[in-house]
Amino acid sequence: MLDYPSMLPAIVFVPFAAAMLALLIGRYTGRHTGLLMVLAALTCFGMSTTLFLNTHQAGQAPALFTTTWFSVGTFQIDLRLLGDAFGLFFAMLVSGIGTLVGIYSLSYIPTDLPNSRLGRYYAALITFMGAMLGVALADNLMLLYVFWEITTIASFMLIGFWYDEASAKRGANMAMQVTVTGGLGLLAGVVLIGVAAGTFTLSELQQQTGAWSRLLASPLANIALILVFLGAFTKSAQAPFHFWLPNAMVAPTPVSTYLHAATMVKAGIFLVGRMLPIFGGTALWSPVLITVGLITFVLGAYQAMRETDLKAILARTTLSMLGMIMLVYGLNASEQDALQILSHATYKGALFLVAGIVEHATHTRDIRELGGLRRKMPITFIICAAAALSMAGVPPFFGFLAKEALYHELLHSEVLHAAGVGQWLVVAGSVLANAFMFAVSFKILLGVFCGPETEKGHHAHEAGPGLWIPPAVLALAATGLGVIGVTSVTEHLVQAISSDPHSHVHISMNPVHWSIGPVVLTFITIALGVGFYMRRTAVEAAQARLDVLPSAPRVWERMMEHIAGFATFYAGRWQNGSLHWYIAATMAFFIGVSAYALVHGGLSLANATVDLTELPWYAIALGVLTIGAMTAVVRANTRMGGAIALGATGFLVSLMFVVYRSPDILLTQILIETVSTIFILLILFFMPSFQPEQMSITRKMINLGISAGVGIIVFLMVLLSMSDGIRATRTLKEDYLSRALDGAGGANAVNVIIVDFRAIDTTGEICVLVIVGLAVFALLRSRRKLA
Amino acid sequence: MTVSSPILRTVARFALPLSLVVSAIIFMQGHNLPGGGFIAGVLGAAGAAIYLLAFGVERAARIQWWKFAVVGLCISLLTGTVQALLGYGFMNHTIWHIGSYHLPTATFFDLGVYLIVLGTLMTIFVELGMEDR
Repeated sequence: MLDYPSMLPAIVFVPFAAAMLALLIGRYTGRHTGLLMVLAALTCFGMSTTLFLNTHQAGQAPALFTTTWFSVGTFQIDLRLLGDAFGLFFAMLVSGIGTLVGIYSLSYIPTDLPNSRLGRYYAALITFMGAMLGVALADNLMLLYVFWEITTIASFMLIGFWYDEASAKRGANMAMQVTVTGGLGLLAGVVLIGVAAGTFTLSELQQQTGAWSRLLASPLANIALILVFLGAFTKSAQAPFHFWLPNAMVAPTPVSTYLHAATMVKAGIFLVGRMLPIFGGTALWSPVLITVGLITFVLGAYQAMRETDLKAILARTTLSMLGMIMLVYGLNASEQDALQILSHATYKGALFLVAGIVEHATHTRDIRELGGLRRKMPITFIICAAAALSMAGVPPFFGFLAKEALYHELLHSEVLHAAGVGQWLVVAGSVLANAFMFAVSFKILLGVFCGPETEKGHHAHEAGPGLWIPPAVLALAATGLGVIGVTSVTEHLVQAISSDPHSHVHISMNPVHWSIGPVVLTFITIALGVGFYMRRTAVEAAQARLDVLPSAPRVWERMMEHIAGFATFYAGRWQNGSLHWYIAATMAFFIGVSAYALVHGGLSLANATVDLTELPWYAIALGVLTIGAMTAVVRANTRMGGAIALGATGFLVSLMFVVYRSPDILLTQILIETVSTIFILLILFFMPSFQPEQMSITRKMINLGISAGVGIIVFLMVLLSMSDGIRATRTLKEDYLSRALDGAGGANAVNVIIVDFRAIDTTGEICVLVIVGLAVFALLRSRRKLA
Repeated sequence: MTVSSPILRTVARFALPLSLVVSAIIFMQGHNLPGGGFIAGVLGAAGAAIYLLAFGVERAARIQWWKFAVVGLCISLLTGTVQALLGYGFMNHTIWHIGSYHLPTATFFDLGVYLIVLGTLMTIFVELGMEDR
């Protein structure tokens, strides 16, 4: 049995191991790979719950796992995972809904797809789950960022699941572009925080210690906060970055449920929740979050009213709710964040899954083509009713409690009291948005399941238990958590899992405990909502008239087109395919930089000693031969002749290493010469014919100038290495030599440097090498296939 | 492209196994004597490339060389990751003592480098060789 701290890395890395396994066995197991997902998710859920119960009941400090991740000199980044209540709540949410989505996927994903594709689908889904668990538990900002970006990549692959369709490609690209832009902002913000505070450890900053005061005192703090906000707003689809989310609905429904309703879009909110103890008191915090949150809250609900596609409606309401939670954080009401997140996840998860069932049964998601399904699909109808009523905020469902808590906060928040008339703007906006939400809930419920039966519904039938059990669990939670709200169980629960478990959150389903303000607002909301629903055609017509702004996705795409256009122009100018130009430019740059260093770099050739006593006659002979071979390269009339002469030069140079007893470089030089010769032989055939006589005189002069320049610079550099100042710099060499055997168990210092002392550098280089190989493979092979 | 010379074919027939054996030796001695994953990989690729030139690209193309590179990268990254999970930090190598034999974990990293160099060079050679067919 694992001890508690070791469970943390297990929770994060079990999914990654499972994803790797899914990739390997996917082609054989096909659709059954989903069982692996269910298993991994259940394991993580079990461990998260165990950890949470243990910490909560025993009242202990949260479990902490920490180990060195990177250490270079004095700089160190820890792999640090912390199991605090809010993080574990998020982990339970991610793994719990992951389990349900895994079960649902087993029946939902079409089985006529190739096995390997199903394997990849589950691998991406499980990877996503692991990355989300990493975001939830990471206690180091760098670690959090890495997991954050993995969710983006997994999301890209999952949105693009139907990659044969243009809309899927468009949606996946747009989601990727927007969230990566924000992700880069987050990275910059994290780096700034690290620079200003001197630590990347989240809990240390949250405890408001010395590092925290250093951070807030720094002028970088506000910039860092804005950059972190950029990351959170793009991920959680806040206005004006909201548009990627509706376009991401081209993903299969389980993906939409999991990523784009229940978990991934909450990552931005989660991040803001993590930042609240750090930045909550700063001047920017409340104004930015309240403005952005309120706009998204109202805009999402307003636009949801207009949509006719079931998933698009749900996507817009998700936007709205994400905005609402941002607003809650803007009010510093972090004690109710878990309540809002959980309430949204339960009903929205259920509704998305119901939308998938309806589409499965009727082959349409258009609400205008649907109706009267309650007789044919009674179970789905009951599930949908519970979820939709929770969304509408009707007692005794869980959504009602969340809405009451919001209204209570709006009326009593100290942040808003200070805002004066602004408070009533926020209250009015929230009531309006919730009224739209109310109307939308009934539009979905009544539009799909009541009224006359439509043509598409004739052949509809109830879904199998594999499809309805997952949403039923969520709908049950949305009902159950509401009904037991008459006692104080729900209240205690959502307070214990919130990011601020010490502040009291007051919610109750028992009318005796209701206070007058929120109840009045609820009545106004319901009255307005009923009005909107009754007059929905009039509302939609009014919305169509108001529709004057350019659509956000179009604006974004035009921006992307401009960026791509600039890139094409730039590449066309500098990367024109002429090898001559590449080499000339590279060498000219080399000459310029080196000459600058020689003149202004404080280097001196004054005391360079040239000692000719170490020069035996055979070295002179080798030098003469090398010059002869070099002349042959320049004088060659054919490329083949030039290549052979070049090879000869290389081998002669390597003989020079024999003279000066440098076996390592000798071996490398000989092998590289051999491989280069083979390489030249292979590509010579495709080169255009070599016509030196056609070269213009200016071009010849430029070539001569660059060649002479490189020759002189290299000569000077070699000379420089003999001067006093450089020769004295021996400590590095001796340091490496002395440490090679003891520290790394190798006597060959060159190799020890490559694979041990500077292994992280080498890692970068081998990555480049692999990418080059794969690029050559992909480019040449695809070109041959096209031909 | 094939250089159909009987001399080259005869040489290549011996050069391939020889270069593979020597590359294995150079790889193993790399930590203490001249050698190492990079050079050994280049040597292996050189031997295989001469074989490719002598007998045509088809035989060499039967092997999916890019997989060597990818597996190599996985081995190298995994070596660093395992060290990180054991608490030494990413890419901070240690030495395993197996009896009286010392095995630096850097050897596994170097094995990855070997496979990457071999795989990448051969991928490029094979793809270029396939071009004129």
